Amino acid sequence: MNQLRSAFALGLTALIALVAAPVAADEPCQSPYMPKLTAQEDFVYVYTLGVEGLGDGEDKLVTIGANPARPDHGKVVASVSLGGRHEAHHGGFTDDRRQLWLGGLDDSAIFVFDVATDPAKPKLLRKQTEFVKETGGLVGPHTFYPIPGRMLISALSNATDNGGKTGFAEYSNEGRFVRSVWMPEGAVYGYDLRINANLNRMLTSSFTGKTNYMRKLPELIGDAAAMKNFGDTVVVWDFHARKPLQTLALPGAPLEIRWALGPRSFYAFTATALTSKLWGVFRKDDGAFEAVELAPIGDPAKTPLPVDISLSADDRFLFVSTFMDGTAHVFDVSNPRAPKLVHEKKIGGQVNMVSQTWDGKRVYFTSSLLANWDKTGADGEQFLRAFDWNGSELVPRFSVDFTAEKLGRPHIMHFGQAAFFAAREPRAPGGDAIPADDGPRVADLR
Amino acid sequence: MRLRRRALAAIALASALAAPARAGEARLFAAPPPGSYALPPIDHVGEHVLLDAAGRPAPLLGLAPDQVALVAFVYRACSDACPLALATLRGIDRRLGADTAMGSRVRLVTVSFDPVHDTPERMGELARGLGAREAWRFLTAPDAAALAPVLADFHQDVLRVDAGGTAIQHVLKIFLIDGQGDVRNVYSTGFLDEELVWNDIATVLGGG
Repeated sequence: MNQLRSAFALGLTALIALVAAPVAADEPCQSPYMPKLTAQEDFVYVYTLGVEGLGDGEDKLVTIGANPARPDHGKVVASVSLGGRHEAHHGGFTDDRRQLWLGGLDDSAIFVFDVATDPAKPKLLRKQTEFVKETGGLVGPHTFYPIPGRMLISALSNATDNGGKTGFAEYSNEGRFVRSVWMPEGAVYGYDLRINANLNRMLTSSFTGKTNYMRKLPELIGDAAAMKNFGDTVVVWDFHARKPLQTLALPGAPLEIRWALGPRSFYAFTATALTSKLWGVFRKDDGAFEAVELAPIGDPAKTPLPVDISLSADDRFLFVSTFMDGTAHVFDVSNPRAPKLVHEKKIGGQVNMVSQTWDGKRVYFTSSLLANWDKTGADGEQFLRAFDWNGSELVPRFSVDFTAEKLGRPHIMHFGQAAFFAAREPRAPGGDAIPADDGPRVADLR
Repeated sequence: MRLRRRALAAIALASALAAPARAGEARLFAAPPPGSYALPPIDHVGEHVLLDAAGRPAPLLGLAPDQVALVAFVYRACSDACPLALATLRGIDRRLGADTAMGSRVRLVTVSFDPVHDTPERMGELARGLGAREAWRFLTAPDAAALAPVLADFHQDVLRVDAGGTAIQHVLKIFLIDGQGDVRNVYSTGFLDEELVWNDIATVLGGG
């Protein structure tokens, strides 16, 4: 009986480990359908825009050492050039974390890397060039979000007029096109997409089309007609059916979406870039969703342009980066309907992506937004900066100057570990790989 | 015996956890009705010959054109994700047993990652422990080399994490395959909802 009890307890423990794993570019907020890196990261993979006249001028996947216990901490470990400039932007791992897919917003090229064979030195497996044709005219592959056996890819634009009408596509992990889904009437813009598997709900956000995102920023801001061509909606989808259910109004281009990770936390955060507001998207008792404006980010009158957000795995801290003033804003979102600003720090002359580790103790920032939107002059510095987060302030750990290293403009980050695919005991204390989340069933145990 | 008890205890627990909702608790979402959505082909897999629980050569799929298969890769010593997969398949198996029309058109297949330890005899024990219908087949391979092309065809990652031991790291995947060998959906823990799987089967059988 004791044996049976201990076996049951073992099974229970294993299942809790399985299901309790909260659902990454920042590690906590990656797809619930992929293993998470919960221990110390060894590498940060940085997708980098090429700059004409700097080094070879090409877009790159750059590997930076990130483990203080390794000699390559804070140093460039590897760099793979991608043959020209494609407006390097975002990317994502496959569901088994063995491949890293990267998209170009200009020519819609997709680069697929093997990051499992030698995590220190990702190897380019293939370049996919038929995204626009295969998808029936989607342009600008943005978010890469793994689901079992497949990659969901949101787009920003279309081939007909390079405007904001767009959708998302689905490819097998082997690169076979599966289907396209266009955004619904009245909410045609696209940007991010994120799934809550426990609710069978997907949220999509909205930005602007290629005509705008490839234009020089000062010129764009001065064009009142063009500035009207930004999204102001978040769409709620029945994910399994890939069908839109609700369109929510969030004026001013809601960008990155982060679902809360707690098993009974049925809400998500987003930030509107043009209006500089933090928003919550909450599931109501009847199962429908409501969008609630929660707090200003910086001084909205100065258009600080919040561009990325990162939510800690315990749903407590939300990091928001504002591009124009190069500042990180940290909110305590323990009460998601009443966020409290608890820390602000100037990261650099400009800042874009923010990614925190699973344990929330390390936070990384990069500087580049878009080739034609990045600053020039003294504020145009290009960096990856690593900080430690002690619960109350960001403490600098290292900085890599991507201009001095002749690499380019660093954008999205993903974490890797040398031994992630090596033989080891699974789910050892301190964690390594944790399988996909299955949240609510944990609460059933409590 | 200990392994069997452990496996069954874990399956029992997983079965309870896999239930859509506890009594008095509403489901968090309604699975979309069969035929109300599309499941376009994701991939294509070929036929493979493995060993059934009696040790005889058996086709992995063996599908007629109007049938579908639900294929799960597991291993007996696995104490976390695999029991959840088996619990879901057991739920589907019971529903198929009560549904004559669907029952004859759906083949459930459990394939072991671990041919060294999961012999045909042990796979048979697993089947009996689950009370599986005869139509739910439990397959293994003569050795790892014979299994490798199957895993490659399904793009199922697998990593033996303790050399010589029994622990295997893998991303749980269950495959819904139509009579032409096309993969119509892939499920991992987040997707492993019996109602969703059932409706997907009905959708594919209905021509969706």
